[in-house]
Amino acid sequence: MYWTDALALLKKAFSLLIALFLFSCSNSSDSEQGVRIALVMKSLANEFFATMAKGAEEHQQKTPGRYELIVNGIKDERDLSRQVAIVDEMVALRVDAIVIAPADSKALIPALKKAKAAGIVVVNIDNKLDQELLAEEQVKIPFVGPNNLTGAQRVGAVLADNLSPGDQVLMLEGTRTSFNAQQRAKGFELAMKESAIEIVDSQSANWEMREANIITASMLTRYPDIKGILAGNDSMAMGALAAVKTIGKLGAIQIVGFDNISAVNQAIAAGEILATADQHADKLAAYGIDYALALLADEKAILADRETPVDLITAKDI
Amino acid sequence: MTKHLSLLLALFLLILFFSLLNPLFFSTPTLQAIGNQIPDLTFLAVALTLVMITGGIDLSVGSLLALCSSIIGVHMISNGASLSEAFLISLLGGALCGLITGTITTLGKIPSFIVTLGMLECARGVAYLVTDSQTVYIGSEVGALAESTGFLGVSPIFMLAIVIVILAQLLLTRTVYGRYLVAIGTNLDAVRLSGINPTPYQISVFMISGTLCAFAALSLTARLASSDPNAAIGLELSAIAAAVIGGTSLMGGRGSVIGSFIGVLIIAVLQTGLASMGVDEPTKRIITGAVIVFAALMDFWRTKQRRA
Repeated sequence: MYWTDALALLKKAFSLLIALFLFSCSNSSDSEQGVRIALVMKSLANEFFATMAKGAEEHQQKTPGRYELIVNGIKDERDLSRQVAIVDEMVALRVDAIVIAPADSKALIPALKKAKAAGIVVVNIDNKLDQELLAEEQVKIPFVGPNNLTGAQRVGAVLADNLSPGDQVLMLEGTRTSFNAQQRAKGFELAMKESAIEIVDSQSANWEMREANIITASMLTRYPDIKGILAGNDSMAMGALAAVKTIGKLGAIQIVGFDNISAVNQAIAAGEILATADQHADKLAAYGIDYALALLADEKAILADRETPVDLITAKDI
Repeated sequence: MTKHLSLLLALFLLILFFSLLNPLFFSTPTLQAIGNQIPDLTFLAVALTLVMITGGIDLSVGSLLALCSSIIGVHMISNGASLSEAFLISLLGGALCGLITGTITTLGKIPSFIVTLGMLECARGVAYLVTDSQTVYIGSEVGALAESTGFLGVSPIFMLAIVIVILAQLLLTRTVYGRYLVAIGTNLDAVRLSGINPTPYQISVFMISGTLCAFAALSLTARLASSDPNAAIGLELSAIAAAVIGGTSLMGGRGSVIGSFIGVLIIAVLQTGLASMGVDEPTKRIITGAVIVFAALMDFWRTKQRRA
């Protein structure tokens, strides 16, 4: 009894599906009611990207009807395969533009190349794609975002001003495969070199608080004379701060971060963290969307990179 | 076939649901996108099904995937090997890791949960070492395997996954080896008492699992056109979920490869469907979790009804 019922239901479901398929096939050409933009983010569990997504949604609501926004993120910063899958799915859904913060500077390029081949406008935000590989694959994708190198250099300079030449510091890098992690590390290194401060050790904590905490704790026992910590993002700065507090060296070790998340903002106000950089996360995705809309309006536009502002944040800015 | 009817029904209802909400969802490109992203999870789900049927578990499959993928990438880029050569090495690597876990579990009489948990850490560590913690970009030589072909517009890795599903199902249901795996999972003592030594079967099933990880690695490497040492973190949980949705028992003795494959499809349709609607991340995870539990419940009711 049960099985014959189920079989009948299955048959019904199947025929409905076939009908739907035929319907969607015949209807595909006139489904263009408006412009649809897909925002493909990294981890939305990270406040920085959550702020970015929220900014994009507010941008969309300001001019309702101008475009439709589909926001998708991945479960953590390193879930590359899911991000590639999302790009494929967005191409399949025939969105008009993809604005993406790539989880990897290289591995996303083949998927984005396919998207461009399908006639979709692609704009790169936040983490810059590998320019050499883009040239090699003959794809042009404009980058809209901050200059991480000079931003990190300015943050590093604030730390240097609070230390004296010859002091030892350590550096926590983001995921080394990403371009902005490399750029921030370079910026920090330049600032330290200028003031003759020594980076005794540098490790990657993959942008994460917990990992940064463990690494910092072990490095502090290994290098007891450390005076400062350069963290590639604020999550890692928070992890480092917790490690410093654990050994009771708060104040003796200065920490700087990057991103200006609210927790770090509070820590700066409390004098626990020295400085961070604000890349205006809320506006980053919106800049990217604006650019995508401009490119959609003018097909012949030249694809040039656009630099967005980075502001230094210290106690006097709060 | 009737065994999988309720599962297929759930899959169809899910597709129907998303298609009604978004007419663009049920289209050839979307189905191709789904078809292209499921091979890696499919291989892992087949591996888990076979191991779970014997009453064991293999938590190392995600890390082994990353390790095998790293081997492929580094061997091709740094050593200039061809794809087939690199894949062969990664097959051997996967099988070797399976041999290690299988041997320690079976001869050392340690629960596979612990041994494979150890392998999960070790394999991930080796993957980072091999690649120097960097993504290795390979390019179209391997990427072509994930491109659609003339045959029904599906990719070579998708076809490979289908072939493996069929072979594994035949292995399980039509061979003495397969029947022994079920028997070991149902009642290990009875197998021993009937004069069969279960050890070689228990060890070899982990080797099969390791080998399947290399296949999964090939598909993921093809899809990313690169080797990512961070790949597939937590994917073992999706593979276990797919197997359980498909009716494989965590207690051993019961399971079906076809069922697990439908489980993979359910997870993939859910993921793609939710993404096509731009559902926010917390909601996505809540819905996915609820569907896994619901599917397992449906399976439980079904078996109860059949027994009654």
